[in-house]
Amino acid sequence: MVKILDKLLAHSGKLTKARQNYDWIKEELLGLEERINTKKQVELDRFVVRANKQLAKLGYTIDKSEYVNALIEEKLQRFDVKNYMNHRALNHGDAKAIFKAIKAGNDWQSILPGHNEKYKKLIEKRANYASKVNELSNNSTVEKVDSSAYDRLKNQLLAEYEAFKATVDKKYEGIFQKEKARLENKLTKAEEKINLIKSKVKVEKTLEPDVLLEVKNLKMYFGGLKAVDDLSFNVKKGEIFGLIGPNGAGKTTVFNCITRFYDATGGDMYFENKYGEVVNMRDFKVHDVLLQGISRTFQNIELVKEVSVLENLLVAATRTYRSGFAVHALGLPSLKKEEKMLRQKAMRILKFMQIEQYAGWIAMGLPYGILKKVEIARALMADANLIIMDEPAAGLNDVETIELTEIIRKIRDTFGVTILLVEHDMKLVMSVCDNICAISFGQLLAIGTPEEIQSNKAVQEAYLGVEEDE
Amino acid sequence: MNKRLSEKYTLLGSNPKTKNNLLEGVKSFAKSPSIHFLLFGLIIVLIAYLAVEKTFPNIIPYSWASALSVTMAYSVASIGFCLLMGYSGLASLGTGGFIGIGTYAVYYIINVSGLSLWLAILVAIAVAIIIGAIVGFISLRIEGIYLVILTLGLSEILRNLYVVIEDSIKIKNFEFVGFLFKRQHAIYIVMGLLVIVMIITHNIINSPTGRAMLAMKNSTAAAQAMGISLIKYRLLAFIICTVYAALSGVLLMVTLRSARASEGTGFYALITSLNILAAVIIGGYKSIWGAIFGTFVLYGLKTTILSNIDFLSDELMVFISGILVIVIVMFYPGGLAQLIGGLKYKIKKFALKLREAKYGKDLG
Amino acid sequence: MAFFLDTLFGSLTPMCVTALVTLAITLIFKTSFTTNFAQGVVSAFGAYFVATMLTKWGYSIWLSVPAGMLVSMLMAIVIDVGIFRRGRYVNALGKQIITMGLISIIVGATPLVYGIATPLFKPFIDGVKTFEVAGGSVAFTWNSIFCAGITAIVIVLIFVLLKYSKWGLSVRATASNEYVAGMMGINTHIVTALSWGIAGALGALAASINASSGTTINIYFMTNYQVYAFLAGILGGFSTFHGPVIAALMIPLANNLISYLVNVANRPDLTGWSMVFVYVIALVIIFFKPQGIFGKKIAKKV
Repeated sequence: MVKILDKLLAHSGKLTKARQNYDWIKEELLGLEERINTKKQVELDRFVVRANKQLAKLGYTIDKSEYVNALIEEKLQRFDVKNYMNHRALNHGDAKAIFKAIKAGNDWQSILPGHNEKYKKLIEKRANYASKVNELSNNSTVEKVDSSAYDRLKNQLLAEYEAFKATVDKKYEGIFQKEKARLENKLTKAEEKINLIKSKVKVEKTLEPDVLLEVKNLKMYFGGLKAVDDLSFNVKKGEIFGLIGPNGAGKTTVFNCITRFYDATGGDMYFENKYGEVVNMRDFKVHDVLLQGISRTFQNIELVKEVSVLENLLVAATRTYRSGFAVHALGLPSLKKEEKMLRQKAMRILKFMQIEQYAGWIAMGLPYGILKKVEIARALMADANLIIMDEPAAGLNDVETIELTEIIRKIRDTFGVTILLVEHDMKLVMSVCDNICAISFGQLLAIGTPEEIQSNKAVQEAYLGVEEDE
Repeated sequence: MNKRLSEKYTLLGSNPKTKNNLLEGVKSFAKSPSIHFLLFGLIIVLIAYLAVEKTFPNIIPYSWASALSVTMAYSVASIGFCLLMGYSGLASLGTGGFIGIGTYAVYYIINVSGLSLWLAILVAIAVAIIIGAIVGFISLRIEGIYLVILTLGLSEILRNLYVVIEDSIKIKNFEFVGFLFKRQHAIYIVMGLLVIVMIITHNIINSPTGRAMLAMKNSTAAAQAMGISLIKYRLLAFIICTVYAALSGVLLMVTLRSARASEGTGFYALITSLNILAAVIIGGYKSIWGAIFGTFVLYGLKTTILSNIDFLSDELMVFISGILVIVIVMFYPGGLAQLIGGLKYKIKKFALKLREAKYGKDLG
Repeated sequence: MAFFLDTLFGSLTPMCVTALVTLAITLIFKTSFTTNFAQGVVSAFGAYFVATMLTKWGYSIWLSVPAGMLVSMLMAIVIDVGIFRRGRYVNALGKQIITMGLISIIVGATPLVYGIATPLFKPFIDGVKTFEVAGGSVAFTWNSIFCAGITAIVIVLIFVLLKYSKWGLSVRATASNEYVAGMMGINTHIVTALSWGIAGALGALAASINASSGTTINIYFMTNYQVYAFLAGILGGFSTFHGPVIAALMIPLANNLISYLVNVANRPDLTGWSMVFVYVIALVIIFFKPQGIFGKKIAKKV
């Protein structure tokens, strides 16, 4: 009776809620820097935009005034060239001299003393035109700015920007520290609360120090068929563990038992959950397995086809939301805050999987390889400490399988999770696994490193059949 | 050209985009679906007002007010069904029976007890929650077509109960929020509730709850592995659907004022459940607007628009609506929403072609 | 005792009608994989034809009823060939919606074809027989006895056909797996069309029997029996043919028996509740045996 009560208390809503709270604060802490940075960037951007506006205004003015000056000069030159250079009445020598004088900026009229009379009309015309053009340039609304002003302004603004940035940095550093301290404080409080609840529960079972999952005498019978019979194996923390066997060996049954899709006929599955306690998986319902820290991927991709990749990741975070149905139905701001936080987390994971460019795409119609990655990303979304992959290489080509090998290793190294692979592809299993468990007809054949398994006689027989002596 | 210039005179070599908070706020406000729903409600109320008050006699015929009111009342049930079928992947033929919860709540609270409509709505919701929960529990054991028939049976139980309790019910004019509501004023209550239901449904669809329901529809196994409890969301889906149907019953009673349970074509008969199902299929089973439009096709089109065409007798109308339903199901499985979506896409494509013809292909 | 026998005789006609409609619905469910909501109106359409022949054109009932069955049969075949065969890849719900679109079409077409006046019907055989037992007199109509006989013959005939004929084998093969049946050389198109046809004919017969017992004909007058039939289908389990039929016989009987018990207990105020009781009992049974009373349990692989 006491035992049942203890169990009830341990997994009652109180503890779940406290843990949810704890996870949430942790998530907030994790995304804090990014959030502060975006806020900071917005403020800096605002300054830059303002500065850019000033610079652009000045730049355009300079452009314009230069353009106008060039225009006036060009106009006069054109006039001169047209009227003097090509004037039929002018002899070649005079024309050359005049052109030279014009180019040098000298008074060209003095060169032509004898012809003054002759060119009187032309000279008048030129003077008229010059005064007209000058008038035009004087009357033009274009400001005349000299070009060095731009550089001066830019330098000044840059200096201002640096100063501004320093103050903003300081300001947000302060906010960041304050927020961090607040959240850390909250986190320790949440932890204390969890410990308080947990202290009332007796620990029944401990595992060996580095063991994460202990499957003990697992039995699963379908009527008379013994799909899994008395199977025991241990999965160590942080390793990549392979479960192999010929078709119909009961691989899928084993992990369907672990993830509670099947109710095992007998045996226990002790698991150190993500909060560091040892639990027996048989005490949980199938939809509570994720909360203990076991997430899985599927052999045939089981994504929600009609929503985006990002939202598919959010599906896995359904239990992370603290808000209830009423908040969802009314669309209150607290939901938006949570949503923002989790989207940030999802983007982080997508970036890790290098598929962030697909975040907004609808899952239906994406290539198979991408969908596989999305499914793995979804499994990462729940902060599990054991990820079970059901034939991840199924349907992938050689290049993609090699890529998958790297991804699996990277996941283990980055997130520190343990990975249980159920796989057909021997190349993948042998190259990536630290330890392998081979089963056949629901019974254990061998456990060991890839080399040991490869050289194991029983395994070879199971896969290739018994060799007959000739 | 413009872009190149704007990058020429910059402080750090780039021109970051900043949001104008006020402008963005106004934009997102105008774009938010809630505003669309409100606008829709106002437009319908305006049409009904013009029809009832006869301010401009010849613009809108009087019959439109009642037809719109009935359509919108049924729409509430359709929206619930849309959530049940399009998002949770469940189906039911109990709508007819569930509508009765609302009509009888109105009858007993307003007419017999003389209390306010608020209380009637609350009672209808409370009873609907209980019955929805029962169906939800059943749905855990029985699935697919069997569940559909079972809900049909449940609906028949309710209908038989209504016949036994009080076959024919009727309500008089009643007071609500300080006004005396006559028959032609029902549309104001109907639209008020409909807009609230639309907003809430939209919120649910776009919240984690909606996503969890979609996940459940796609694959129950995957949903469970993602921590989604089937019992919770199935119960929720059925409760929402039942509550909406009951609210629809409240609105129908407020609009039509009388009901007969033993009638073969009445509110609670199989035909209502089938019509709601058809409305959602016709409209496109994942769209709120689609559900309303489908309901309009089945309940409102006849009275409002097609009644002006002389050679269309009532019988021919029923005949044609049947053909319409079959054609839509066979050739446009996504319903009218898909049809309109496809049309939008085609228009966009056409506009692009026009632009290309004018300016040449955009190779960038 | 007398009252009990009276109740039994009173249940004969509803039992026949429900059994025939259920058999029709089961046939279509097995071959087209949908619940045919239009069964009721197709049956009623046939009854309209029979009544028109009978009262307007003055033919004898022995000619009118087979003619009506033929009309319903042709109509059902046209529905299958014209609509269902083309909608083969519509999903399960879509198929149901198609059948309900058919309801609208037939409901709209009936007054256009037959006019709006309510047609009159007459019994197959006239006459009431009364006999005395302990505690009172019992009355029954010869018509109900005749209908029971006809129903029994038809049902037995169909079961024999299902069991021993080539068509029956094809139907069973199609029901178990349409795709494989097609690959094994069975023309599933003909099997399905024939099943629809037979279902239509059964419906018309059921409607005629119902009308001959004095029920007023209108286009919805078979809808109630159709609902019973669906319930009987899952109560008996759609996985067999005999299950639904047996359940269909039980539902009206249970209804009348409850009425009888209510009367015995002297609580006439509860008479109206009998159908509610029947439904509740049926739902409880289904809840604890989801595959039906006679159904086989099929394990699903995860």
